[in-house]
Amino acid sequence: MDFYSFLYTMAHGPLLWISFLTFILGSLLRIILYVNLSRKKDKITHQHFNLKYVLMSLFRWILPLNRTVAKNPIFTILGYIFHICLIVVPIWYVGHISLWEESRFGWTWASIPDEWADRMTLVFLAIALFFLLRRIFSRDIRKISTLSDYFLLVVTALPFMTGYFLSHATLDGVPFLGDYMELIHILSGEFMLILIPFTKLSHFVLFLFSRGATAIEFGRRGYTV
Amino acid sequence: MAEDVNSREIYEFLKTRIGARFRTWLQICSHCGLCANTCHYYIANGNEPGMIPSYKVRHLLEILKRKGRVDRKYLETVYHTVYHECNMCRRCTLYCPFGIDIALMISLLRSMLFSQGIAPEGLVKAIENYKKFGNQMAVTEEDWVDTIEWCEEEMAEELLGLKIPIDKKGARIMYTVNAREPMFYPQDIMEVAKIFHVAGEDWTVPRKEGWDDTNLAMFCGDLKTARLIVENTFKRAEELEVEKIAITE
Ligand code: HEM
Ligand code: SF4
Ligand code: SF4
Repeated sequence: MDFYSFLYTMAHGPLLWISFLTFILGSLLRIILYVNLSRKKDKITHQHFNLKYVLMSLFRWILPLNRTVAKNPIFTILGYIFHICLIVVPIWYVGHISLWEESRFGWTWASIPDEWADRMTLVFLAIALFFLLRRIFSRDIRKISTLSDYFLLVVTALPFMTGYFLSHATLDGVPFLGDYMELIHILSGEFMLILIPFTKLSHFVLFLFSRGATAIEFGRRGYTV
Repeated sequence: MAEDVNSREIYEFLKTRIGARFRTWLQICSHCGLCANTCHYYIANGNEPGMIPSYKVRHLLEILKRKGRVDRKYLETVYHTVYHECNMCRRCTLYCPFGIDIALMISLLRSMLFSQGIAPEGLVKAIENYKKFGNQMAVTEEDWVDTIEWCEEEMAEELLGLKIPIDKKGARIMYTVNAREPMFYPQDIMEVAKIFHVAGEDWTVPRKEGWDDTNLAMFCGDLKTARLIVENTFKRAEELEVEKIAITE
């Protein structure tokens, strides 16, 4: 077995398991660690716990119904579109669903039309590029950016870029990339999943707790949550 | 070496106070910059990137990363940031998608600096006064009562029968002031007395410490003294069995 076949087998088997389990268990662990530490150290959150404030706040911020949308409409709306594409395309792209169907789980669910997946991917990549350029060229954002901010943006965009190349055979004429695009696509997706629980990308779940804690603190003082 | 700082103490101080919120905020801040134009320091300084709220708390992460091994010069930089670039107003938090409480982290840094004996001179002096006299201006009980009685006499010429009841048990409202009022602005106390009198309010001021409603200890993160100040006020309110505490301004 040559190196490529070895990697191919790994990426379709053990690495796939490892990445999904790391993502799921890692995220669960982050939740458990948060709750545990918060019980010990964030007494305010628990003494003044108020589900109403938490839910109100989540509602306002998961939907674009908050004051930041009004203040910075362009960037926030792009952010919302960015995240919608980020979540919808990988889960409802027909090519991915058929892989689930063929897998040992045999799961299947409705898919979005291919053109949608295509367009959303391009929109996502355009916004990601805009975010990257903004990080590089805006004095403000450059000042607060760390190396990992640039890196994680690329890590997040890579599976989408390679997925697009793969499904459109864009780079098939290019040596190496043409042959290995599928492998690169899978590995980049797995890499992203593995990194999520351990980096700022863990915001996808810790955001719920952070917002919740602040909603409790601000709500009890009568500020906007 | 007078310039030395106690690294272990700094690290321990922060570690025992860093809960799940702080830890999460430091990690998940997306550095998106949405908080930038919400901070008055940022705007007032011509949109200065160094004033972006998220940027100001970099010190906390840095000190934790270095396990407290920072020198006095670094702490002076921190001092500048937490006292001259943020007044802990919490406005940025209202706009942060994650609800990251920058002010709370700045406050923790101020507490840490205080634990290392670094705080603005004026606040340190005020804290001594709170501890000794129960108010920030070192007004003695005698002076306080004298001032109140003098205010009462002055006003009684204008409004017949005006009283400033001291330690009246069972009054509805216990009124507290900024300690600068008996020191420099007794007319403020008189104006309030006029309003209470005309409104026919059942009110009183306490004789003993607890009448100063400022809490400057809070601003440098001296939570022990901050607590003492609030406790004084509540103790008086309980003794006098009042229904409400009113504060000046
Ligand atoms: C697995 C899921 C997610 C991933 C991989 C992810 C990834 C990212 C990335 C790479 C950025 C950086 C964009 C930049 O450089 O400005 C970002 C920003 C952000 N993410 Fe997520 N995200 C996820 C889920 C979520 C969720 C569920 C929320 C909560 C509503 C969220 C809220 C935000 C916010 C508020 C920002 C910063 C501002 C913006 O881009 O609009 N993310 N996310
Ligand atoms: S708005 Fe919130 S997440 Fe964005 S940079 Fe400011 S503190 Fe960080
Ligand atoms: S809390 Fe500090 S950083 Fe945030 S807006 Fe107020 S002054 Fe600016």
